[in-house]
This record gives sequence, C-alpha cells and structure tokens, in this order.
Amino acid sequence: MHPLKPAKAVLKNIRQETADVKTYTVQVDGAFSRELSPGQFNMVGYPGVGEAPISFSSLWEDGCIGHTVRSVGAVTAFIDKLAEGDELLLRGPYGKGWPMDIAKGRDLLLVAGGLGLAPLRPVIREVLQSRDSFGTVSLLCGARNEKNLLFTDEYEAWRKKISLFLTVDEAVTGEPWGHSVGLITGLLDRVKPDTAGTCAFVVGPEIMMRFVCRGLMLRGMQPADIFVSLERRMKCGVAQCGHCQHAGFFVCRDGPVFPYAQVTGLMDGML
Amino acid sequence: MYGNGMTGAPASRISDFLVPKASFFRWLDSLRESFSVVGPVAEEDRTVFREIASADELHMEYASTMLSPGKVYLYSPREDLFRISFGKDLTIEEPPRSPVQRIIAGIHACDTHAVFYLDRTFLGAFRDPLYENRRSNTMLIALNCSAASRNCFCSSMGAGPFLKAEKGYDMLLTDLEDAYLVEIRTERCRVLFNADATQSADAEVFRRKEEKERSALRTFTKTINTDGLDRALRENPEHPVWGRTADERCLSCANCVMVCPTCFCHDVVDELSMDMKTVRRYREWDACQDARFAEVHGGNFRARRTARLRQFVTHKLDQTHQYGVFGTVGCGRCITWCPTGIDLTEMAKAIQTRKA
Repeated sequence: MHPLKPAKAVLKNIRQETADVKTYTVQVDGAFSRELSPGQFNMVGYPGVGEAPISFSSLWEDGCIGHTVRSVGAVTAFIDKLAEGDELLLRGPYGKGWPMDIAKGRDLLLVAGGLGLAPLRPVIREVLQSRDSFGTVSLLCGARNEKNLLFTDEYEAWRKKISLFLTVDEAVTGEPWGHSVGLITGLLDRVKPDTAGTCAFVVGPEIMMRFVCRGLMLRGMQPADIFVSLERRMKCGVAQCGHCQHAGFFVCRDGPVFPYAQVTGLMDGML
Repeated sequence: MYGNGMTGAPASRISDFLVPKASFFRWLDSLRESFSVVGPVAEEDRTVFREIASADELHMEYASTMLSPGKVYLYSPREDLFRISFGKDLTIEEPPRSPVQRIIAGIHACDTHAVFYLDRTFLGAFRDPLYENRRSNTMLIALNCSAASRNCFCSSMGAGPFLKAEKGYDMLLTDLEDAYLVEIRTERCRVLFNADATQSADAEVFRRKEEKERSALRTFTKTINTDGLDRALRENPEHPVWGRTADERCLSCANCVMVCPTCFCHDVVDELSMDMKTVRRYREWDACQDARFAEVHGGNFRARRTARLRQFVTHKLDQTHQYGVFGTVGCGRCITWCPTGIDLTEMAKAIQTRKA
C-alpha cells in the first residue's frame, strides 16, 4: 500500500480543553496500525485542506486514539469546525517516541510547556498503569495562564501516583491560584533530580526546552539523560518531503523525540 | 545500498565490448519499439534530455544539461498521489502506475550518482511506490565524460568524470572516438544487447579507457577539498561568508535547488475541483530557499535568508550523517544557474581557509 495513503477515522468525542484547544477521540478503520507508542504522531487532515503532524494525546483506549489540537493553521482550524460523527483522515504512526525502556526503573522527570502536555499524556497514562516500573515521577507543567491548562480534570488522579507542579506565566482569572506564578524553569528547584538515576522528558516551545535543559544540566543532569520532542513543518512524515530536516536529521523519522545531546547546538535550532 | 535491487540481477558473465558507434546507435534505435528512449538532444543553444524519435538526434558529446535526466524522469517535478472523491463515502484512489519502459541513454557519471542519492530518499525505510515503479522500469545507460565543464567538480566528490560504481545502473559507455567501450552491468541489459560488429573488449581497450580518464581529469578547473569539509562547515555556522553571501548576492530564487540533481524536497498540495466533488493530492518539487519552507505555527526555523542559504550549502557539503555520503555529486549546476554566480565551492574554501 502507498505509505502516504490515509485511513478514515470517525470523531467519537470532542472535548473542549481551553478556548482554542480540543481533544478529539477518534476511531480508525482497520488500515491503521495498532502499534503506537507515546511521543509518536499522526499526519491528520482532510482532503482539500491538507495534513498536519499531530502527536498522540492518548493511545488505544476503548478502541480509540486521541489527538489534542490547538486551532492555529489551515488544517487545525478546519478540524476545529468538525463535530462528533464527522470523518477525518489520518495516517501513521510516525517517528520515534519517548524512550520508555530507558525510563523504566529510574526516576522520571516530565516537563511540559503549554500544549507540550499532550504528547506527554500517554507517558503519564503508562506510568499510572505500571507505577511500580518507575521510581519517583514528577511532572512540571507550565501554561500561559490558568485558562490554558490542559486536562485539568485528570490532575487529581495523576496526583495520587506522581508529583505534579504547576506554574503559569501570569494568573488572570482572579480565582485563588494555589500554585506557582512564573516561568517553568522556576519549578526546577522544586524537584531534586537524583542526577545519576533520573531521566527527563521535556516538551514545549523550543525556547522553553532550551532553558529547561540548561537548567537541568546546571543541576547536574547529563545531556544523555534528557529527551526533547521537536516540532517542525512536515508534509510526508516518512523522511522524503524534506521539510522537517534539521541539520541532517529528519525530525519525522529520527525524532520527534531526540536525546538532547543529539540536537543541542545545531544550526537553525534553539536547543 | 543504491539501486536497492531496482536494476535486477547483475550480468551473468563479463560483457565488455568494443562497439562501433554506428552499430551502437542502430541497436539503440531498435529499442525504441519497446522502450521510450530518452537521451541528450541539442536544442538551440543547449542540450536537454527528451524522448528521441531517432538515434540521429542524440548529441552524446554534450557538456552539462540544466536539469538532470535522473531527477526529471524518475522523480517527476509534479505528480499525482491520490484522487479523493467526496460522495456518500469518501474514496481514495491511487492513480494507475505508469507502464512505460524507459531507457535513459547518455547519463553522465555525476547524474548517475545523483540517482543513487535519490534512491536513498525514496527507497529507504519507506519506499515510494511511484519512484520505485519508474526506477525498476528504467534502464540507465551511463556515459563517462570526456571533458569537464567550467563548473564541474565531480572529480573532487568521487562522482566522476568516470563512473566507478558497478551496480545500480545497466550499461556504461566510454567514448573511444569511432567506437564505444560498452560495459554491461545487468542481466536485463545483457540479454537485450545484440549490436552487430561488436568485439570483446581486450586489455588494450581498457588501457585506452584509462588514458581517456586521465585526459578527462586534466580538464578540471574547479575542485573542492572534502577532507574534513563537513566538520569545518558544521563548526562554523556563524562564519561571515554565510551572512555576506546571503545579504549581498542571494536572491532566494531557488534556482540552485531546482537544478540540483540530488535535491529531493517536495510539497504536498491538495487541489479541490471546481465542482468541489474531488480532490487531487499531488506532490511537486519544493525548495528550502522558499521563505515559508520551514515555517511552523508561531515561528520559522529559517526565517533568515542566511539560514536558508546555509541549509542548502550544508546539505550538500556537510550533513553527511544523513545518508553517509555528501549531498553533492559535483555537477556544478547550482553555480551555473545562480543568477548572481554564488559558488558553494568558494564558500567552502573561505571557511576552510578561515578567511573572513
């Protein structure tokens, strides 16, 4: 079969996360691979509109997969207008996800900025399901303000098994905010990574990852123990269209999750 | 690696012949019955590769073409991927695969290497069925170059002027004045070859081939030192040559990319029909020199022209970890067709000699 041929998917559920972010739970037809791992992505789209790379915010749950999408471009603005029961097309999964095998048996530090929480959600789900396979697990989560926090109704369940630290750039609602205000790097001192035994997964805007990774190294972590997920323009997902090339890497195939050591200091990047 | 089996089994026995040119072209002409034969044809002031109606049209002593035949005929500038129809059910159809059996005759060593490069992109972990179909339906008759053009630096890249690879193509020609040395590489070509008046190529013929190669090598005026080249570029992303060339000369016209035989980037475009009932999804060549090529929501990783020029040049002269080879075959087209004459070999030299 043509590697770019999309599979049909039906929107089973749409949940409004924030003003411009929704989580779409979709059922896909048999042509779609069942082998998914946290951190991978699909090319999601609709004929006439095009396709965009979107990471999984949930893997198989009740026969469905989840994508959490912010409406910002042509493709995502189209998806934003769809209703439950509507069809869309997707193909995948593509790319290398989070190295769960490396994280197992160690402490795991998850750092998410904004929509970056979406590709970490399958990691959190896996940790919750096999909690004994990991050491201390902490999640540092930042957002522009309280209104931009994702998956807020799940935090309580997460907190029972992992440590969750929240921060917002500014608090805007006037409601009591019992968490930090400021950049996410300000949370790094709240966790004390056991520098030899900790593995960190970091995802968010590239400029945020730059400073988080540097902050982690200042606190003794090794570049080889830090993993980041990159975002680039993609048209194919299969290392052929060339749009996602980053100093010789195909982000779609060699990433989107990379060991920090592999992508730090590359031209045209911020890490 | 290259070819990935696209050319079938290697020739089952040594098949090297000395063939009078007239005889060779008669044989080539006879193939037009079952093949679309493409070759270099002189058109006004330049040579282009196109289908021939007779071998008499061929201009085998051509210097360099604007577009490489491998890229044009194996990886089309624009081609349909799917036709999608909205209806009661959404249907996605693949266009029928082209049944055309083609011969590309007279493809230079550099352009043959460029095909091997495209193989790495389109026949890697994900195989592109359109490219694969054409690659396996195309016989490549390569031609060793007798002389370099002004901008050729293939000899520095190990991609010419004589083709050293022994697989991934079907036949290799060396011009020996009134005859060709014909070296047949694949079984499918061997069974097809029935030119008359051939004789087995003996040691003397190969001695003449070596002499030809030495004479061709003497014609090069452009060179590049590949020793540590990738590292030198990687370690100097802020060298002034990048910004200066981009600011003073680069027009972001993307000519360099369009004429490059190894540039594989493309866009995928959805075109809605006027009645809004079908969508044609096609791909077409795209260029990293386009300002929006690396744009994402909220940013553009190569918004600066300097970054875009550096991307093209480093993709050719650095970034060797991508496929384990340099991205250039030294054909020099990007130099020839740059409206302001930007020369990547000169940029590399500036960095290698640490001149500002």
